[in-house]
Amino acid sequence: MRLRTLSLFALCLPTSIPLAAAQDIPNRPEDIQFAPLNFEPPEAAGYRHELSNGVLVYLAPSQELPLVNIVFTFKGGGYLDPQGQVGLVSATGSMIRRGGTMSVSAEDLDERFDFLAANVSSSSGSTTSLATINCLKSNLEECFALFMDMIRNPGFQADRFTVYVDELLERLRQRNDFPDAILNREWKALLYGRDHYEASQTTEPMVQAMSIADLRDVHRQIFHPGNLIIAVNGDFEESQMLALLEEAVSGWEKRPLVIDPPAPEVKFTPGLYHVEKDIPQGKVFIGLRTISRDHPDYFPMLMMNEILGGGGFTSRITKRVRSDEGLAYSAGSTFIPGVYFPGEFRALFQSKNPTVALSAKIILEEIELIRSEPVTGEELEIARNSFIETFPRTFESKAGMLNVFVNDEMTGRDAAYWKNYRDNIKRITAEQIMDVARRRLDPRQMAVFVVGKWDEIYQGDLDQRANMSEIFGGNVTHLPLRDPMTMEPIK
Amino acid sequence: MPLRHFSIAIPLLMVLPVSAQQIEVESFVLDNGMEFLLLPRTEQPNIIAAGWLARVGSVNERPGITGISHFFEHMMFKGTTTIGTSDAERDRSYREEQANLRNQLLDLTWGEQYEHHRRGEIDDPWDEVSDSPAIKELRSRLTNSKEGHKQVIVNNEFDKIYTSAGGSGMNAFTTNDVTFYFINVPSNKFELWAWMESDRLSDSVFREFYAERDVVHEERRLRTESTPTGVFQEQFNAMFWQSSPYSWPVIGWTSDLNSYTMEEAQRYFDIYYQPSNIVGVIVGDFDPDEIKPVIRRYFSRLQAGRHAPPPVVTLEMKQLAQKRMYAECDCQPQIELRYHTVPFAHSDRPALEMMAEILNGRTGRLYKSLVEGKSIASSATSSAGGFGAPAKYAGSFSFQAQVKGDALPEDLELAWYEELERLRNEPVPAQELQKVKNRVAADAYRRLESNFFLLLQIGYYEALDGWEHINEDPKRLQAVSADDILRVADTYFERTNQSVAIYNRTAGGDPIDEDLLALGPEQQRNVMLMLKQMENYSLPGLLQFRAQMGERLQQIPPQQAEQFKPMLEYLLKKMDERIAELQAAEND
Repeated sequence: MRLRTLSLFALCLPTSIPLAAAQDIPNRPEDIQFAPLNFEPPEAAGYRHELSNGVLVYLAPSQELPLVNIVFTFKGGGYLDPQGQVGLVSATGSMIRRGGTMSVSAEDLDERFDFLAANVSSSSGSTTSLATINCLKSNLEECFALFMDMIRNPGFQADRFTVYVDELLERLRQRNDFPDAILNREWKALLYGRDHYEASQTTEPMVQAMSIADLRDVHRQIFHPGNLIIAVNGDFEESQMLALLEEAVSGWEKRPLVIDPPAPEVKFTPGLYHVEKDIPQGKVFIGLRTISRDHPDYFPMLMMNEILGGGGFTSRITKRVRSDEGLAYSAGSTFIPGVYFPGEFRALFQSKNPTVALSAKIILEEIELIRSEPVTGEELEIARNSFIETFPRTFESKAGMLNVFVNDEMTGRDAAYWKNYRDNIKRITAEQIMDVARRRLDPRQMAVFVVGKWDEIYQGDLDQRANMSEIFGGNVTHLPLRDPMTMEPIK
Repeated sequence: MPLRHFSIAIPLLMVLPVSAQQIEVESFVLDNGMEFLLLPRTEQPNIIAAGWLARVGSVNERPGITGISHFFEHMMFKGTTTIGTSDAERDRSYREEQANLRNQLLDLTWGEQYEHHRRGEIDDPWDEVSDSPAIKELRSRLTNSKEGHKQVIVNNEFDKIYTSAGGSGMNAFTTNDVTFYFINVPSNKFELWAWMESDRLSDSVFREFYAERDVVHEERRLRTESTPTGVFQEQFNAMFWQSSPYSWPVIGWTSDLNSYTMEEAQRYFDIYYQPSNIVGVIVGDFDPDEIKPVIRRYFSRLQAGRHAPPPVVTLEMKQLAQKRMYAECDCQPQIELRYHTVPFAHSDRPALEMMAEILNGRTGRLYKSLVEGKSIASSATSSAGGFGAPAKYAGSFSFQAQVKGDALPEDLELAWYEELERLRNEPVPAQELQKVKNRVAADAYRRLESNFFLLLQIGYYEALDGWEHINEDPKRLQAVSADDILRVADTYFERTNQSVAIYNRTAGGDPIDEDLLALGPEQQRNVMLMLKQMENYSLPGLLQFRAQMGERLQQIPPQQAEQFKPMLEYLLKKMDERIAELQAAEND
């Protein structure tokens, strides 16, 4: 009896389900009801520890995989390059990993790390320096001991330094090969000045003049507990990890915290700029310096940029330049608020030479429009929802979450930033967005920077919908390409 | 002062206690043939990475429609009958009108323009500069229709719905073998994903077909034509593969990009996007028992296809002679050597991958020998294929290196042969092999750390041979012996099985022509057109033309001299240069 019922039921199943299913599907996605997702951002304080010498440690254990991931972040980077020695800090960061230790040769250290399957790195960026190790839990102690020896007593082995210098020179040689590299370099030089660390470039003579003694000086200045914050995630027990770290830093001389990165001194001249490169597609930035992240205009700028060009396909620039006109593969804008001084806003695209002018013209029109008319209710809602709904992703992975905590700690961002983030986004109105665009995005104060083949770009498109004479009256400043080795203008 | 180095004692054959993690993927198939792979994971809370792949890539194309798989990937974001339009009926009639005009335009281009091109009368049959009146007319009607169409298009609505619901990282990619679509959604929005994806799979509408084609042209310029080595890599690839459909680029040949018809696109979609050719992959914070009914409810609306996709039948012909290519570009002098090896599922693949591992890395043989020892390379790596490379039907192994200092690409080639000889003649020492195995084992864990990367791996493996590779491959790699490496090094690396690309740096650049710039946009255009025509003139013709121009210069009325003189003078200058060039060529 029971059996028969069951088999009947099974027979009915295939036909009854699709019938029911078709009726269950709402006509539009807006008709779907979603369960609420309650999310509160994690608080840094819950993960924060302090070693006896004052070094801060953030720990986030998880047992999913038998790996341990340790990140040492030191304040200090390229902005500390001595006058005329651009690239020295970066060289130091790289050479710590590559040059062995005072008691272990570079070859033996590399072989040992590799045999233990540990991924170890060191590097110096423009404002911070990193040393990281990712290794199996089973050999953590041996790996970590070698890692600490490497950071505290780097060998800077001479033959390895020679290889580093050789490789660096080869990288310099390639500095004009990619048009985007030229655009980035010259754009930064225009906005921040060639001497500022955002834009400064090393040269062959500077590289040749670097010595191991110089590296040691930089190492003493940056890689010490006074600049250090540690983050660890992966498979470990908190008290054991703290004991391991405590031992690792004991007797490590703590020197003074380095200074903050300096603000640029240059005020750039708005206008149309160009560097020649024989390619079938012009690469363009349009923008200017804006604000730092602590400025009251920060949230309105964030929302304004999202609607104008930051929000991918939903944004205005992408819609018009890419979707409507098919003029570019990527077209949009980005808002990079500075941490220590005002950062920048820039719109960007690349388009075949004859339609560079048209694309630029459309973008400038969109900039004018967002300054003169309030954004629509729909646009405001999409941008708002996007920021709020994707907010949990900031803390999605343990490593990502710790990275946020470390950066906030190092740059002095208030923990309330994340707590109030969604409320601050919700508060922004269409009027505030128009107001901030009007004050912060004046096209007459912008630079339009083009890398490409000027004679083809200048003429504009076949239908003459636009040519470059419409942008700053066609008054272009042709900037010379720079010699990749010396950074001197090429005649 | 030399540092005193203490060498670390390394116990021989110490094996690390690693055993690859097993991930438990749940697989099920709907009645219409669509397969789903589920992997619940709580390590990244509140987020689900969701995607699906179609078992289609450039390998399924043919000459004439190359790049259509990738073009599809773009079209799939343009909406459906419900999403992307405010008036489905008018939307349809605009699309039909445009397809009709477009077909007429294609007929004229493939007919008249291609014929003019074959006769050498025009350079590029697709260049609008050479449009005939009839083509101009069609093009302008097409433009009008596209303008009208905008009234009923809800632009990027597909993206807006996801963005507004907290979807992030929405994207897709196409390779030779697979097309993959994916997004991250908040864990409470899974049903939205099911709605959106089942909607576009059952009712896709190819809107903004022609503007999007222009976007793909820009993508081609960006990725292939404006990068230092892009166009040459494309040529090298076409040289390497002889008969295999891997020979054409995923983005397609330029003429083919211009030639897709709506009918062809629809046919392609019906064949390759039928449910049995599609696999859904879901990784993240969810309960399988909760989402399975949602999947069944939504994806059961996809209609099963009537015929299975046709098999890829063309096998690569055996290579019989070495092939070499020399290129000049704004690039570091460099070399690539590539060998035909085996498809993904072949039993020799693990040994070839281990061979690449022996060569790669900071303590690998290539860095030690070419970068440090001989000091002739600034970088040197090998690859046994890998993510995104042709794999399902045929494989390859490559060596790539860039020079250092005064070394030549040919020096790198010789150094590579030395390394190869070592691998063919001497078994890899046990210690060295174990080191690589340890690294491979640890990396097998590292690859499981992110939802999104898990999604890509499970999907990609499934498309090539089976998702179980994510668990099985680490074991297969551990089982590779020194003899296996010796054997594959001896089997696949004959010179006759090899293609070589050598890149040297171009000297000098193109200076800006200040005189031309001074003319202003309109005259610049005229001048450029005339210069282009001038390239087709023979020497006598050009001399005659030059004489006429000289006369006209004399005849300009004084009131117009200021306007036209600079342009004519510029033209004369360019003509004289060209005449000198042709005369020099005759004297050679």
